[in-house]
Amino acid sequence: MKNQWLFFLKGIVTVRTSGRGSERFLNTLTRAGVSIWNVKAHGSQVLTFQMKLEDLPTLRQYARSADCKFEFVGRKGLPFMKKRMLRNSGFLLGAIAFLVVVILLSNMVWGIEIKGANPATEYKMEKELEKIGVKKGKLQFFLDTPEGIQRYLTENVNEITWVGVELKGTTYHLQVVEKNEPKKTELLSPQHLVAKKKGTIVGMFIEEGEAKAKINDFVKPGQLLVSGLIGNDERKKIVPAKGEVLAETWYKANVAYPLEKKSKVYTGDQKVKHILELGSLKIPIWGFGNIGFDHYVKEEDKRQVKFLKWELPIAVTKNIYREAEEMTQVYTEKEAIVEAKKLARSKIKKQLDEDATIKGENVLHQTIENGKVKLSIHFQIIENIAEEQPIIQGDKE
Amino acid sequence: MAKKWGERLRSWMTKNMELPQDVMMDLPRITMIGQIHIYIENHRGLLGFSDKEVRLLLEHGQLLIKGNNFVIKTIMPEEILLQGTIDQVLFVAE
Repeated sequence: MKNQWLFFLKGIVTVRTSGRGSERFLNTLTRAGVSIWNVKAHGSQVLTFQMKLEDLPTLRQYARSADCKFEFVGRKGLPFMKKRMLRNSGFLLGAIAFLVVVILLSNMVWGIEIKGANPATEYKMEKELEKIGVKKGKLQFFLDTPEGIQRYLTENVNEITWVGVELKGTTYHLQVVEKNEPKKTELLSPQHLVAKKKGTIVGMFIEEGEAKAKINDFVKPGQLLVSGLIGNDERKKIVPAKGEVLAETWYKANVAYPLEKKSKVYTGDQKVKHILELGSLKIPIWGFGNIGFDHYVKEEDKRQVKFLKWELPIAVTKNIYREAEEMTQVYTEKEAIVEAKKLARSKIKKQLDEDATIKGENVLHQTIENGKVKLSIHFQIIENIAEEQPIIQGDKE
Repeated sequence: MAKKWGERLRSWMTKNMELPQDVMMDLPRITMIGQIHIYIENHRGLLGFSDKEVRLLLEHGQLLIKGNNFVIKTIMPEEILLQGTIDQVLFVAE
């Protein structure tokens, strides 16, 4: 009674006795140290009571000499539940198998969608993807990260300039930019070409339209360069002006470069650890022990286990510890200036179109303070400054 | 004669030494909670049990409990907890 739960764990049996000696049988049992509870009378001479499963041998021992019959009418508790579980284990197995299958299927690759590539490139990309194992029916755990696939494809497929790899659920979406993409012939509406920036014109290549500026002209932003209105007063025509106007433009860049530079260099040694994450619990699966490096860079590759469209709080993580050494590079003033100029040039190039060229550079200002070389550089750039400006119909100059 | 002396001594001791009588004299200690529970210590065994009547053996005589819907919640060699609606508790001399 006091500890029903403990009894439950050990198993409880309900016994029905019938016969004249039922009460006497109860007395002998209690004296033998058997705990009995919930004794109920059912009509004359029939009793039911509950007792522990582990006291059953004692009951058997006294049953022979007892003047009554008894039978078991109820079984409760863990031992019986276990038996039932074993008998119904098929259901449990089925449920587990189902879950496993769903989880497996949720983590497979079900589709690879390549967009923006012509069929030949698409085929080549599919072949390359197959080489690294990316194909339908593969488990995502064993595949490279989207970034890795992206890198591999850009390196190995020459036809593409850039590819964006994205994993959405079970499908890889690949967005491709091909190198020689067929140029779209746009239908141009009537337009002028105006200056985008201020500069001195050094060359004009006009396909259509009437030039309104000459070489060596200094132009301001918004100034008309090529007009879309051609012909004389008698025969006027509005056309989409097309062409390139190359001009020398000026940029100023301020850069600073340290005389001492600390950088991390990989030694090539690395240690890989695999970890199974269950919520916040982390269980190492492979790769034990200390990392063994004083300086290292940690790279984490975490694969979340998915269930249908949800992500489970289970993840397989691969940690790569790459040994790194800190190197301090000391530059002389001259070297620093050279490096600073390089930096400035790459900085400027980022701002410009691809076809722009650097014509010249002048260092305007140069100081050394706080262990840094500070440069102010003036660049002369040759670039296309033409910008389209639509001619609104009816608006005639 | 000797038995009588022993009994006398015991009753004298309980009277003068303020010892509980159920311990000294093998008497049942009966605790009741309203009509619903009855707890008997120091019984000597179950003689009869039905849902309307329970008969217990005592050191001297028997205890007869009458009522309805009796269920023995626990039974131990010298203790018994009975549940139900208790109407009467009778001492039956042998």
